[in-house]
Amino acid sequence: MRWLIGLIVFVLTAIIAHLVVLNSIPAKIMSTAMERMADRGIALNGWTAAPRITPETQTVVRPSPDLSYAICRFDTSDGPVLLSAPTAQTYGSLSIFDDRTNNVFVASLQDGSDFEGVIAYPPGNPPIEEGRGYAANGLNTVEIDGKGLALIRRLAPDQDTHDLAAALIEASRCEKLGR
Amino acid sequence: MRILLISLIAAVCGTAIGAVSALWMGGLLSGGLRIGDSIKVDDWSSDWSIGSEAANPYVRARIARVGLLALRKEEAVYFNRAVDDEGRALTEACTYRVSAGALPAEWWSITLYDRDSRLPMNTDGALSFDATDAADLGDAGDWSFTISPAKGTGPKRQWVSSKAADVFDLTLRLYLPTDALLDDPAAALRPPRIERLSCEGGV
Repeated sequence: MRWLIGLIVFVLTAIIAHLVVLNSIPAKIMSTAMERMADRGIALNGWTAAPRITPETQTVVRPSPDLSYAICRFDTSDGPVLLSAPTAQTYGSLSIFDDRTNNVFVASLQDGSDFEGVIAYPPGNPPIEEGRGYAANGLNTVEIDGKGLALIRRLAPDQDTHDLAAALIEASRCEKLGR
Repeated sequence: MRILLISLIAAVCGTAIGAVSALWMGGLLSGGLRIGDSIKVDDWSSDWSIGSEAANPYVRARIARVGLLALRKEEAVYFNRAVDDEGRALTEACTYRVSAGALPAEWWSITLYDRDSRLPMNTDGALSFDATDAADLGDAGDWSFTISPAKGTGPKRQWVSSKAADVFDLTLRLYLPTDALLDDPAAALRPPRIERLSCEGGV
């Protein structure tokens, strides 16, 4: 009887540990990546243009050397965050990832796109509610609970196009919205 | 008392095995199980749930480990391949010819990564081949490039360096893939071929 109880305890703890560890992996990896970005000086609520991708400058797994990247760490805990970027001639996108690595939003930044910006807002506080001091007219919205990462990718297979893409960061926004 | 001791040992062993099996099945241990390559075209594999909330926990864990910040399929799809046309592992010791034609996306690239999912540490400046290279070389519908540790006699933009890569794999990125590809990848994609041309020491 006691061996049967031991077997049951073994199976139950194995299943629970398996599920707990498995489901914690993405958030743990994302959290570590965000901490490393913070250590490298990537600001909260502001775009940071990454240097051109080379073996020496790579900081995340499988970066594409054909793209320029800009990163914004943001946190909706204290209210919504506005993200935007200008369009350009070649392929580009603005994407948002939650703290479990889900790609919860993506918009084209290529000429012809009607993307004006996106507001990331905390659950239960949609930005279209009246009386909050800002409007979502013409903007996309996405619900994010706490920390998130936004990424601008632009086609930039050489140094000149990389520099052009990096110059567009000044016209891009990643900032907390006032109430 | 004895039943408590047995239960405690069982709980410790169960927790350890549960945790290690999660790391293995989630792809975090070297040589771990790969779950989630639901799409296979020749030896190129992908999964349409990458980046989406529909991804199962095994896919999500593996992508967090080897492809953090991957886009969802409407924006980009990713195919990986680690073997040549004969099913042999890709290695720095050999020279390969990669060839294909038009690919069903607005833009695409093929990049070489080492076994740690990193760009190989070399200064050759030849990390990938892309749609722009194919178009500039004259025929986006019939292109090829060489993978080798040292540049041969051909044009530089037709060469991807495997120097310092050891055993490697390739990632094919297809940006803004066509609906036909998303609906029926096996029919829409004629994936790049990888021919092994020669090996150091005649391997």
